[in-house]
Amino acid sequence: MSRYLLLLIFNLPFILAGILSILTQYKIGRASRRKLIAQLIIWLLVLLGLILAEPIYNWLFVNGLTKTDSLSLFDVIQITAIVLLFYITNRTRLKLETTERRLQDLHQELSIRLSNKK
Amino acid sequence: MKKTLRVCVVIPAFNEATVISHVVSGIKKAFRNRNYAVEIIVVNDASTDETSKEAKKSGATVINHILNSGAGGATATGLSYAQQNGFGIAVTMDADGQHAAKDVVRGVDEIIKRRDDLLIGSRLIDSAGMSKTKIIGNKGLSAITYALFGINSTDSQSGLRVFSRNALESLRWKTSGYEFCSEMLWRAKQLNLRISEYPIQALYTDYSKTKGQNNWNAVNIIKNLLKRRIAELLG
Repeated sequence: MSRYLLLLIFNLPFILAGILSILTQYKIGRASRRKLIAQLIIWLLVLLGLILAEPIYNWLFVNGLTKTDSLSLFDVIQITAIVLLFYITNRTRLKLETTERRLQDLHQELSIRLSNKK
Repeated sequence: MKKTLRVCVVIPAFNEATVISHVVSGIKKAFRNRNYAVEIIVVNDASTDETSKEAKKSGATVINHILNSGAGGATATGLSYAQQNGFGIAVTMDADGQHAAKDVVRGVDEIIKRRDDLLIGSRLIDSAGMSKTKIIGNKGLSAITYALFGINSTDSQSGLRVFSRNALESLRWKTSGYEFCSEMLWRAKQLNLRISEYPIQALYTDYSKTKGQNNWNAVNIIKNLLKRRIAELLG
């Protein structure tokens, strides 16, 4: 099996999970349309990069822009690890931002209510 | 005289015990004999000095933050109080005494006259009395606000701002430090709120000079604004 195909197969679940996650967030009203579009663009760009990895490498090689060897199995694992890390970082960032927002709102509301009680 | 319009003056304060009573008294005096029912709210941002006690003594309503949240967080709390309690207009001003009380009253008059949603008190329309370093710093931040968000303001960092009821109900921001000044303008633009400016006087005393933003804070503000802009691009 071609290593480029293997690269795509390994990474596709993370890309699909990323797309599904933002679609779900949007459908249940936790993400804005703007956030949905931005996230979809990012994941589709990653997908496009993986699909076109072989033609891009060939083009670079033919035009003398790279002298590296073709994709090795180690490269496949390394790229998959990078995509996985990107997926995890992105999810963590979104969750952190939501938590931070909710904590700020809670603190604000609590301060107002406590001052009203006095 | 029957007071018709309810106005809330929000003063976010952190360790301002020395001047807060003077600032609150000044505002009370300036609004006397005016046709506005005024409530002064001091948002004590977890100060370690007597800010809360001094503000209460001078007749302000005090909201005590449990955690220090920064100028943006304290301003958001004060404006949220104004929104929840049905005020028609809210004004935010600095607690260090750099804003003249007469400019606060004039801001309320102006927003009613102009029918704007957000009115910025600009210290740079007439910058007399301001040091060159402060002028450069503030102009630089206004230029960066323009570059990042496309908002043309002569004084994007001014703390004296007047809000209509419409702005109180819709305007929200995410940052909690000083960078909220620029982000607020950006959010207002996104909401198609009517924004304008009016000239104000900056009163720099030895005390307020030590309390305001310095040009190193400006570097931090720029860094946080860039972060916010990138985070927004990523979704």
